[in-house]
Amino acid sequence: MNILLIIVFAVTLLYLSMTERFPIYASLIGLQGVLLFFLSLLELNTITLATLIFVSVETLVFKVMVVPWFLFRIIRKTGETKVHEKAMPGFYSLFFVTGGLLMSIAISFSLAATGRSLIYFIVAFFAVYTGLFMIISHRKIFSHLIGFLVVENAVLLLSLAIGAEIPMLINVGILLDIFVSVLILGIFMMRLKQSVHELTMLRDE
Amino acid sequence: MTQSDYILTGFLGVSVLLALAAGLLRRKAAVKLVALLYLPVHAGFSLWGWMHEGQTTLEYFTFDAPGLLLLSVLSLLAVTTVLHGFSYLEESSPRAYSIYHAALIGLITSMSGAYLANGMTIVWIFVEATTLTVAALIYHDRTRLALEATWKYVFVCSVGIALAYLGILFLGFTLKDARLLHHSFDSLAGIAGKADPLYLKVAFVFVFVGYSAKMGLFPMHTVTVDAHTVAPPPVSAFISTTLMNVGFLAIFRIYRLFSATTILPFMNHVLILSGLLSLLVSAGYMLKAKHNKRMLAYSSLENMGIVAIALGVGGIGYYAAILHLLLHSLSKAGLFYQIGISHKVMGTYQLDESGNYFSLYPAGGGALLLGLLCIAAIPPSGMFISELYLFKALVASKDFWILGAVLFLLCFVIYAMVTRVLHILYSQPRQKPLWDTVPVNPWQSASQYILFGIVIYICFSQPEFLRNAIETILQTLPGS
Repeated sequence: MNILLIIVFAVTLLYLSMTERFPIYASLIGLQGVLLFFLSLLELNTITLATLIFVSVETLVFKVMVVPWFLFRIIRKTGETKVHEKAMPGFYSLFFVTGGLLMSIAISFSLAATGRSLIYFIVAFFAVYTGLFMIISHRKIFSHLIGFLVVENAVLLLSLAIGAEIPMLINVGILLDIFVSVLILGIFMMRLKQSVHELTMLRDE
Repeated sequence: MTQSDYILTGFLGVSVLLALAAGLLRRKAAVKLVALLYLPVHAGFSLWGWMHEGQTTLEYFTFDAPGLLLLSVLSLLAVTTVLHGFSYLEESSPRAYSIYHAALIGLITSMSGAYLANGMTIVWIFVEATTLTVAALIYHDRTRLALEATWKYVFVCSVGIALAYLGILFLGFTLKDARLLHHSFDSLAGIAGKADPLYLKVAFVFVFVGYSAKMGLFPMHTVTVDAHTVAPPPVSAFISTTLMNVGFLAIFRIYRLFSATTILPFMNHVLILSGLLSLLVSAGYMLKAKHNKRMLAYSSLENMGIVAIALGVGGIGYYAAILHLLLHSLSKAGLFYQIGISHKVMGTYQLDESGNYFSLYPAGGGALLLGLLCIAAIPPSGMFISELYLFKALVASKDFWILGAVLFLLCFVIYAMVTRVLHILYSQPRQKPLWDTVPVNPWQSASQYILFGIVIYICFSQPEFLRNAIETILQTLPGS
């Protein structure tokens, strides 16, 4: 079951790299949140009430509800629905991202990971690659925000790989990161609005 | 709870209360009083820390030499930054005044926490907190440029911190137990030696790249450059010094933890490569810099590059790295304060519109000239000594090609810096400034003379307590 969920997660990454519409980005980020919630439940062997509440807040509330709600609100408010026309076409993106997947597989094998951790490593590395690729190859800041959220999901995925008993301190750290990503970036996105497609005012002459 | 637990809890509690008070009060005089009250609290806390060096408190904090040394620099620069802030914010609205000081107290407290944190996850949490608080300060002027710089800073720092977090998780994986992650650095030292070197390398690379955003080092240096350009000058002074020191310490603690393992040569190569690339980028961009604050920002990149190379070379290079970091903090803060004052005098940050600064404001002109000597490591600057130690370390390790590359790139950096500062001081402006000049009290440059005076004093004599503190920091490093 875990493997199936992780593979679906990897498919969402491939889809993210191909699609050009922001509402689909927001939906896929929500779907990744659902997948991470079920993965967390399956991976945590001894669930205490506190852990259950924390995992639910982290994944179901933030990643499935709050983040996509924020993203859709930004889309409505800015009127931006599509990636920049000068952004890399979907086919080429898919080409590069597939290369990233192969690279992630190679790195994970070279780390001598086996069994359950191998698949976690592959998809976590792949998610980091996809997130960074979106930040680098896209021009609109909405895509950058999606790339960041994908990297954040990679962090949670890797934290599930390291073991069932994640220290509470780590959870607090992840929650703080979500707080930063949603509130701060969201607020700035609202203020930047559609007039600033690309951030280019600050540059060297 | 022990006495030190009470002191730390008290410091954090008082800091939060003062930050809240500064944020809620709307009378400038009252906010000023709150900010001034915070300074002795912080200085007292630093002093108390030195008196109880080595003690661990509240499980997650240790008053160790590296943390205390940087905390003391922070205490000193907090005084000058707060005082310069009063002058910079004269025209601000009461609301902006309050938010600025609340965020400033929050930033100083977060940096203090990051310096003293003794575990990886707790360092990470405080580093994240510095990003949140400094964002409010960069956005102080509420302009489009400020918004863009703030967004970039928060965004890239958040990506960087997420990558650093991946590195921490990797370490948890290689240690076979995630619970070890919130153990102190010292207790992890023995375990790291038994870990898989490949995993340690991956963890180090992630942590290094992640925290390089805070240290202002290649490859994540761009955000700090943009942040400097638009942040209020006293805040730029902080971002360029004490906040970069946070990034350095986060990387240094991981470096020290892994230094007893077989990946030491790998870490050294990463540091040297990143340092050289930082020097290369800074040399290139300083030659085309047309914005005075941006020029200083690239100078910070150059100096962080020197620190990284010194750390990577080892031997006496370790000592050079720490000394250079401390002296750079004092020199660069002084220069940012002075560039802030120059904006009042000349009405611009643009190089082409700047000029005649010495005749317009002799006290500031003298300070800027002294600052140039200090930052360019020209004798009698103390930074000359730290760079000399670096060259000595490079010769001792027979890394002649690195020495050649560093010297070659430094020529461009010094040329760019000297020609630009001399243009500001003595030449006629190439273009007419858009704003009128404002007379400035010569006493506003006093703090810069004090800071540069300390840097120059270090060239002739290094106080014993400073030498001892640096040697204590380097004790566990191989070949130090």
